Amino acid sequence: MKHLKELFNYRQMIVGLVKRDLRGRYKGSALGFLWTFINPLLQLVVFTMVFSVIMKAGYEQYYLFLFVALIPWIFFSASVQDGATCIIREKDMIKKIYFPREVMPIAAVSSGAVNMLLTFIVIFIVLIVSGRGINPQAVLYLPLVMIVEYILCIGIALIVSALTVYFRDLQYILGIVTMALQYLTPVMYGADMVPEKYMTLFNLNPMTPIITIYRDILYWKVVPDMSTLLYAFGLGVFFVVTGYILFNRLQRGFAENV
Amino acid sequence: MRDNNNAIEITNMSKFYKVFYDKGHELKEVLLFWKRSRHEKKLVLDNISLDIKRGEAVGLVGKNGCGKSTTLKLLTKIIYPTSGTIEMNGRVSCLIELGAGFHPDMTGRENIYINASIFGLSKKEINRRIDEIIEFSELGEYIDTPVRTYSSGMYMRLAFSVAINVDADILLIDEILAVGDAYFQEKCFEKLRDIKAKGTTIVIVSHNLEQIEAFCDRTLWIKEGKIVMDGEPKEVHGKYLEYMSKGKDK
Repeated sequence: MKHLKELFNYRQMIVGLVKRDLRGRYKGSALGFLWTFINPLLQLVVFTMVFSVIMKAGYEQYYLFLFVALIPWIFFSASVQDGATCIIREKDMIKKIYFPREVMPIAAVSSGAVNMLLTFIVIFIVLIVSGRGINPQAVLYLPLVMIVEYILCIGIALIVSALTVYFRDLQYILGIVTMALQYLTPVMYGADMVPEKYMTLFNLNPMTPIITIYRDILYWKVVPDMSTLLYAFGLGVFFVVTGYILFNRLQRGFAENV
Repeated sequence: MRDNNNAIEITNMSKFYKVFYDKGHELKEVLLFWKRSRHEKKLVLDNISLDIKRGEAVGLVGKNGCGKSTTLKLLTKIIYPTSGTIEMNGRVSCLIELGAGFHPDMTGRENIYINASIFGLSKKEINRRIDEIIEFSELGEYIDTPVRTYSSGMYMRLAFSVAINVDADILLIDEILAVGDAYFQEKCFEKLRDIKAKGTTIVIVSHNLEQIEAFCDRTLWIKEGKIVMDGEPKEVHGKYLEYMSKGKDK
């Protein structure tokens, strides 16, 4: 409890790190911060070409179907990858000064979350311009699923950041795993296309319910299924508690091992 | 806490460092050399117990590599003891790595916010102190220019001003007061005396015995990971210097 209170006292440090990261990220590039939007938009174009023009997935306005799931997915995969390296990247600070080490993974995930929120402005514009529209009643649930995803991402970032300090290969392994997971999560296709017998397996992936909920709210424009939301929340809490305990054990050796 | 008047309590604390011959983090190495111990344990601090009272100013002296800086790092919780416990009462600030987290492209003012937040200050608390910090740094209008344009002296002045204005209950200092010119150094000393008078507990690691004598109530002499002497600074320094000069003769 005392430790959580201390972490709360360090909130300004988290805010500062997020600002520093967002400002510094595309510094020196001609398009600067616009890359935050260009990157997902290019992915969107490529996947739409493949899955709606060539493979004919059969969803109407496939680019919207994909867009509302792709952005939350990018937030997740960025959290895993930035999360993995956030401690070893800041080794100078870890070696030299004290602060609650959880600050680093939380800041890494938060800056991804800010990026996602900014991209959501684009999503809303596209939803309206394309004529698909928005169901205000469903959108009320959007903050909830965002919070659930944020909790999950922090949990995973806590785990991978601490493990990477002791086992450097993990960052590369995670790169492969997240790439594979992108295809094993209903991002480019719907959960309805998954054969019934594999559904249990798919639901063990914490991102499956989350992506499904995003799509329910924004593409199908319906109030998400409460049991799915609760299940996703439960998984998020499980990861964050596990992550917190593991991180606390491992962080004692950070300064000597980074 | 054994005694509420204590700011720092160290109980039977030992610290081993693992000295690796060739350290591996990669999968291949981890798997191949799982059982092979390629490191040696080096004892840096050997079963130390120590109480420091609130408001006390304590100097740590000793040869290079005796464990002074390790003690300070343990107190800041950058590293943790292998066995034994350390308890600290109150907010800790350290003048060890000045200017941590400074971003060269941001202005002095922005960096104050970042740097102070690393000490665990909230935005409100920083707002309350910002004028004092800027005034102490004597950077004047330069405060709104990027830090990369600063001279090293200006940089250190800014960093020191932040660290010293944190209002800590316990202040840890490693070989400082080499900040800026003689005038600024005197000003820092003045400020440290103020802080001490307010009842802040201070622990200083230094090779400058005069500074410790001018400032501390107590000196601890650490030798090979043990406290060999604990007492009034002049007395301890006498013995310490005697020992050091004997070392030279051999």
